[in-house]
Amino acid sequence: MNPLIAGAIHDAKNGLNLLNTWLDEARRTTPSLAIDEARAVAARVGAQLVELLVLYRAGEDNLRLVIEDHDLADFCQEVTSEIILPPGSNARIEFDADAVAMLGAWAFDAYQVKLVLQEALRNALRHGKDNIRFAVATQASGGLRFTVSDDGPGFPQEVLDGKTRAMDSASSGIGLIFSRLIAERHATPDGRHGRVELANDGGAVFALVLP
Amino acid sequence: MIDLSKLNGLLIDDIPEMRSAVRIQLTDCGLEHCDAARNIKEAIEKISANRYDLIICDYNLGQGADGQQLLELVRRRKILPLTTVFLMITGETGYEQVSTAAEYSPDDYLIKPFTSQTLQTRLQRVIDKKLALRAVYVHLGERGDKQKALAECDAMLAQPSRYSLDVMRIKGEVLLDLQRNDDALALYQAVLDQRATPWASVGKARALAARGDDAEAREHLDKVIDAYPNYLAAYDSLTLLLEKNDRVAAQKVVERALKVAPSTQRQRQLGTLALDNKDFTRAEDAFRRAVDKDRSGFFKSHDDYSGLAKSQVEQGKVQEALAAVKEMGQHFGHSAELTVHQAAVESIVHAKAGNPVAAKAALERALKAAESGEGIAASASLELANACFASGDQEQAKQILQGVAEDHQENEAVLDRAQAAFRTAGLDSEGEIFLEATRKRMITLNNDAVAMAKAGELDQASAMLDEAADRLRNNAQVSINAAIAALMKVQRQGVSSKLIGKAHRYITQAHRANPEHPRLDEAVNLYRKLAPADAPTLKVGA
Repeated sequence: MNPLIAGAIHDAKNGLNLLNTWLDEARRTTPSLAIDEARAVAARVGAQLVELLVLYRAGEDNLRLVIEDHDLADFCQEVTSEIILPPGSNARIEFDADAVAMLGAWAFDAYQVKLVLQEALRNALRHGKDNIRFAVATQASGGLRFTVSDDGPGFPQEVLDGKTRAMDSASSGIGLIFSRLIAERHATPDGRHGRVELANDGGAVFALVLP
Repeated sequence: MIDLSKLNGLLIDDIPEMRSAVRIQLTDCGLEHCDAARNIKEAIEKISANRYDLIICDYNLGQGADGQQLLELVRRRKILPLTTVFLMITGETGYEQVSTAAEYSPDDYLIKPFTSQTLQTRLQRVIDKKLALRAVYVHLGERGDKQKALAECDAMLAQPSRYSLDVMRIKGEVLLDLQRNDDALALYQAVLDQRATPWASVGKARALAARGDDAEAREHLDKVIDAYPNYLAAYDSLTLLLEKNDRVAAQKVVERALKVAPSTQRQRQLGTLALDNKDFTRAEDAFRRAVDKDRSGFFKSHDDYSGLAKSQVEQGKVQEALAAVKEMGQHFGHSAELTVHQAAVESIVHAKAGNPVAAKAALERALKAAESGEGIAASASLELANACFASGDQEQAKQILQGVAEDHQENEAVLDRAQAAFRTAGLDSEGEIFLEATRKRMITLNNDAVAMAKAGELDQASAMLDEAADRLRNNAQVSINAAIAALMKVQRQGVSSKLIGKAHRYITQAHRANPEHPRLDEAVNLYRKLAPADAPTLKVGA
C-alpha cells in the first residue's frame, strides 16, 4: 500500500473521531434513532480504517504486537461495554462474567484483540436475531479461546470452506483478514500460534484461539 | 470505589490545551489535588519535592524527551517510590513504544482519545492494584528488605487473588536479586506451565544465565524475541549475556532493539559496543544520536561526547573529534571530574592523530586535575587510564585501573569497562590476569583482616581495614568490614565516641556505595545494638 493512501486513511480516521464527538454531543441534546444509527455506522467505519492501517503496517513489516498480561474480566468488560447495540433492536450480548473472573490473566495484545472481538460482535449483531453469546475459556490443549456466537443463518458455506475471503457478500472481508493476521501474529517461544476458527452451530460461531 | 479526592496527583504534558483537557477529565473522576508540569525539568523538581499518589504523564514531552525517559530517570534515581501510580497517555500510533519499556514500565497506559469514564475505570483499577501490592512494594524501595518482600509475596500467594500473577512476577525478580536462581527458575517454569507470557519467558532465561547455563539461556532468548519482537527486556537480557563473549552479536541485538524503541541509553550502549568492535562509523552515528536527540540535556553523559570524539578520530576526523571534546565542556557544569574527562579524551584524540606533544600536554592536565579532585567518578578515571595507554604510559594506566578495580571491586559494569580499557590498548589477556590478581588481593585483604580479628589481633585488623576503607570509598565490602572491626573493638574495649563515630562513618560510606549490599544489615544491626543513646543515629537500613 502506498504511504499516501495510508496517510489518507489516517486523516479519515481522525475526521471520524471528530464526527463521533459531534454525534455524542448531538445525542446528548436531542437523542434520536437516526443519531444512534449514525453512531453505529461511524464506529464500524472507524474500526475498518484502523484495521486497514494495521494491515498496511503488517505489509510494511512494521507491525509488532504488544504482548502483556491482561485481566480477562476487565478486558471482556471493556470489549462489550464499547459495543453500540443496533438501535431499536432487542438484541443483547450474553456474557458469563463470573466464569471469566475465574480465569485470571492472559498475555496478548489487548488493543488488537479488542478490535478483532468487537468486529466479530458487530458482525454477530448484524446477522443474529436476539441472542449473541460472548465467552472465553482456557483450552485443555493450552491456549485461550474467545467465542462469539449468534442465532442467525450462520456463515455461508464458501466462507467456511475458506474459498472466499468475505464474511458476508456485502463486505470486503477485511475483518476476517485482519482477525487472521492478529491471531497468527500471537506466538509463543515454543512455536505455537493463534488462529481463527469459523463454524455453524445454531448460528455463526466465530472463535479466536490465542496461544 | 476508591475516593480520589484524597489523593495527590501530578499531570505532565507539554501542550497547554492537552493539560487543561486532561485536568478537566481528572476532576470528573474526582481527583481534586493535581499539580501540573510542562516539561521534564519541572516534573523532576515536583517529584523530588512532593509525594504523589498518582502521576499522569503524556508520552510525548517535546524537546526530544518522552515520558518513558522521565519514568526511567525518576525510578533509577529512586525519587519516585514504587507505591506511586504512573499512568502514561499516548497516541494510537505510539502505544507500542510505551508498552515496550523494559526495566521500568508504567503501571498502565491509556490510548488517546479516551472518555472520562475510561479514565476513571483505569485509574480505579490501577490504584486498586497498587494498594493490593503495597505491602510488597514498601519492602522494595531504597531502604527495603528483600527478605521481607519475599515473605510478603508468599503471604499474598497463600490466598488466591486477582493479583497472584503480579505477585509471582515480583517474587521472581526478588529471587533473582537474592541469587536464588534455582527457585527463580522453578517459579518461572511453574508460570509458563499454565500460560505463555513474555515476562516469565525472559525471567526463565535470566535464571538460566544466572545459573551459568549461558547456551541454553541464549537459545531460549532467541525464541523469545521471535515470539515477542516488541519485548525489550528480552533484547536487554540477551545483550547482557552476549557482552561477555560475543560482542559483535551483542551489537546486532542492540541494533534490533533500537528499531523497536529508540532511547538515549540504548544509543550509548550501541556506541560503546561498536567502538569496542572497531565499527567506528556505526559508533559515531550512535553517539551523535545520543548527543543530539536529547535536547533537554537530562539524559546525556560525559561518555557520549568522549565516545563521539573517539569514534571520529579513529576515522581520521580530527577536527570533528576536537569539536566534540569542546562540546562536552559546553553541556555540563564545571567540575574537576569534567576537566579530567575532557582533557583525557583530548589527549586520546591527539595521540591517535599523531600529535604526541599535544597528547602529553593534555594528559598532564588531566592527571593534575585528577590529583586535586576528590571523588572523581569511575568513568572519568577509566578515561584517564585510556589516555595513559594511548600515550604509551602503561604503568600509569595500570596504576589507575588498579585503583578503580579495588574501589569498585563488586561492580561488574565498572570492572568490565576496566577490562575494555586493556582490550583497547591491545592488552586483553594481560588485563584479565591483572584484574583477577586485583580481585584476589581484595578478597585476601578482607579474609586476612577477618582471620586476624578472630585470632585476637583486632587492632591490627582494624588498622588494615581503616586504611583500605579510607582509600576505597566506593568499596562497600571493605567499608562494612572496617565498621564491624571498629564495633568489635567496642565490644572488647568498651564504648568510645571515637570508635562509634568511625563505625558510623564507614556504615554511611558503605550505604552510599551500595545501599543494597547483602552484608550492610549485619553492620547496621551491630551498630544499633552497641551504640549508646547519645550516639549519632544511622540514616540507613529498615
